[in-house]
Amino acid sequence: MMDAVAMTNERNQMFRDLFSGKTPQRVPISNPATQDFAIQYAGLDLAECQWDLTKLEQVYNKFCQDFFTDTYPGGSIRIPSHYQILGSTCIVMSSSGFMQHPEVVGLLAEEYDQFIASPYDCLVETILPRLYTELNGSPAKVAMALAKAMRAKSDDLAYLGTIQAKMNAKYGYATMVRALTEAPFDFLADFLRSFKGISGDVRRCPDKVAAACEAVLPLMIKKGTLPNSSMLGATFIPLHMAPYLRDKDFATLYWPTFKKLVETLVGMGQKVELFVEQDWMRYLDYLYELPENTIMRFEYGDAKLVKEKLGKKHIISGFYPVTLLQTGSKQQCVDKAKELLDILAPGGKYWWQADKSIINLDVNGPVVENLRAVLDYVHENGSY
Amino acid sequence: MLGGEDKMDSKYYITWEEYLADHPELERKSKQAIEPKIQKYEDIMFTFIMDLVL
Repeated sequence: MMDAVAMTNERNQMFRDLFSGKTPQRVPISNPATQDFAIQYAGLDLAECQWDLTKLEQVYNKFCQDFFTDTYPGGSIRIPSHYQILGSTCIVMSSSGFMQHPEVVGLLAEEYDQFIASPYDCLVETILPRLYTELNGSPAKVAMALAKAMRAKSDDLAYLGTIQAKMNAKYGYATMVRALTEAPFDFLADFLRSFKGISGDVRRCPDKVAAACEAVLPLMIKKGTLPNSSMLGATFIPLHMAPYLRDKDFATLYWPTFKKLVETLVGMGQKVELFVEQDWMRYLDYLYELPENTIMRFEYGDAKLVKEKLGKKHIISGFYPVTLLQTGSKQQCVDKAKELLDILAPGGKYWWQADKSIINLDVNGPVVENLRAVLDYVHENGSY
Repeated sequence: MLGGEDKMDSKYYITWEEYLADHPELERKSKQAIEPKIQKYEDIMFTFIMDLVL
């Protein structure tokens, strides 16, 4: 049995090879289950564990012992404490303990010009006070709320970082780092104009939408910049709205600033990992244009077509349907893993991830056994 | 310096050069030690603000 440090070195080398276009010794694997799943798997209360992080070490220990993965599983960007302190209306905990993002409007249609003139000023002065009740009040009250929230988030992230370091040291995971940003159009849609709002804006005021995307691009670049670029650092960009746009709107409103974002980050020596959400099959020719070895994790679509059109230039991931883990037999789940391995692994440039993350766990269902079988199958059969 | 801030044009994000212009007394002090710390907290605040809408 290899020690943990040697395992980390081996896994780091696999990802260095993958990211630089070389064929690694085997297909690297990331477990799709989230921290929410791990808490439920440990039989603990979801809401309580996200507030009392001291319970999470045992959660991760059990989870890491029981499931194979090459990268640290879990992690969370939705820690409830600072959202609660700020009076968040855009990220809220449900009665069952899941952090949810309701449809919100942070920017009104008549405020486009203000946003275009200075997006960051507009965020601070107009959008955040609308989305966070404690940022809407007297300067002293806002300052106190902000200070408390920043301290809470800093404490929580530090604690989670300690757990991650312990698990990396014990289980020998690859030491990956990530920054998070968004395509300018998606940023405009998600918390600012809403799905419904941006869909109307595309028709009513496309010039404003285009100008807003250009204006916010420098913020998206800065947000996606890692403190130190390294071969194991990647900027994660989840892609949301493109499948809901007409081709001509995608070409003029979504693509230009998204492409600039990716090219700029890659130009700084960083890797970019796209989560290609929903079905992007009609945009494959666009995706081909992105810089070589862009990582693309697909949700839906034709894996064969993607391998054929993009697989020689880019790193492909995703496609494994997590719903099958709930609805299929163990054999069906393993057969699907084999099918995707046969399609996507030849020639390298394949990272095993599922089509989406697993959040909820039906403790009486087959997901645990099926997930374990799939991860073990890919681990044992993914060697080059 | 991270990417993008040269084009941010915001009164809520201040580069070290802008900060130094507002605090000329620092010219006589240990600028090399002060600059990374001031810039670090400017960037931490930027990340915190942006994460609220991501």
